[in-house]
Amino acid sequence: MSSPGDRNIILSGVSLARQDRPLFDGLSLEIAEQRVGLIGDNGAGKSSLLRLINGLLLPDAGSITVHGLETKAQRSSLPGKVGFIFQNPEHQIVFPTGAEEIAFGLRCAGGTAKEADAAARAFLAQHNCADWADAAISELSDGQKQHLCILAILVMTPSLVLLDEPFSSLDLRSRMKFMKMIAALPQQVIMASHDLDVFANFDRVIWMEGGKIVADGAPAPVIAAYRQRCIDSIGHAP
Amino acid sequence: MIAPYLTQKTWLHRIAAGYKLLALAVISIGFTQLSDWRSLLGATLAVLALYLLTILGHWSRLRLYTPLLPLLIGIGALQACASGWEMAVVSITRLVAMILLADLVTATTPMLAMMDALAPLLRPLRRIGVDENQVSLAVALVIRFMPVLLNEWTQRGEAWRARTGRRPPLRLLAPFAADIIRLADHVAEALDSRGFQVKRSQERSKD
Repeated sequence: MSSPGDRNIILSGVSLARQDRPLFDGLSLEIAEQRVGLIGDNGAGKSSLLRLINGLLLPDAGSITVHGLETKAQRSSLPGKVGFIFQNPEHQIVFPTGAEEIAFGLRCAGGTAKEADAAARAFLAQHNCADWADAAISELSDGQKQHLCILAILVMTPSLVLLDEPFSSLDLRSRMKFMKMIAALPQQVIMASHDLDVFANFDRVIWMEGGKIVADGAPAPVIAAYRQRCIDSIGHAP
Repeated sequence: MIAPYLTQKTWLHRIAAGYKLLALAVISIGFTQLSDWRSLLGATLAVLALYLLTILGHWSRLRLYTPLLPLLIGIGALQACASGWEMAVVSITRLVAMILLADLVTATTPMLAMMDALAPLLRPLRRIGVDENQVSLAVALVIRFMPVLLNEWTQRGEAWRARTGRRPPLRLLAPFAADIIRLADHVAEALDSRGFQVKRSQERSKD
């Protein structure tokens, strides 16, 4: 279990360009809260920021420290600390059955085939999903697939969970169930979403535009400011 | 090979992946040695019977073969014109038998077991700098994402039909290829974020 001091994410003067287009130019940010939301238009830099935090992208300049690990120097240790949930579960699930999907992470961490399979089945049973062990992924609903993605991450016992637009393929019931699960996680959570309502109980919300932070603070005022800017930009109230 | 894992346990599930792959290789070589159309037709019917008995109750699986039909008909027609109908029967029966057998193996073998069985066979590739674990994962990914890709193609075709009322043309292959590349990027990111690349690199650095 990480000590509270380990739970900091520190970005110092981070710059990043993709195909000669600058995404971040000297971004500095410190995140210590347990539940943090990222909002902003498409292309604002939310997904890129999440990818920088879990080391999928490395900064051209500056440094990022995640729970005590510097992402450039200690990238290989990040998968054990940081779990990442992508937008489309279909792109994240690699194996055709639930047990194999869970076991894959355990094997990547060094477990043997038998140990990983047994642990995966036990983990699914512990989360009342024993039926999914031998279920074909194609037979699961989108909500169940997203749930499986979360379990595949949690089995690795990360201290930080990053979620990039996890609701895009979920119906209302699945979304509510998913949010309940996220709320119960002991891990630090950073989530990017266009669904502003889900951030109501978060500790902090960061509004981004063009790779810069426009507003940062408690959810209600930041979300209200963003909503107002959206209304202003289209010229009338919805 | 073309359809998802069969979750209902059959007698084939109990056989180790390595033995199944070996049997598949031996039988496939056997099929290439047969040249009489009657023998091949008989053998293919036997394989078909084995297939149907194994997937008993999962008849919807057969629908996943539909995309293969134009290809088989095309090959058969070409062979019939070039070398006669007997040669066409030989080519088609060989292909059908091998596809059915390969599908039986993948349908009844967990993917991780398949990767474990393939990795030692691919180990000699290390000499030319190829990581056998990555190749076996690539094989697994092809099997896993075949239904996903078929579904993507169907959706593209439906979108085309909805807008034009006509059959989807071959030029849809270009955007479809772009979709596949995007999908490959997403999957690579997902694997990377779960430490697959890292683990394999560490394993290799220990060697």
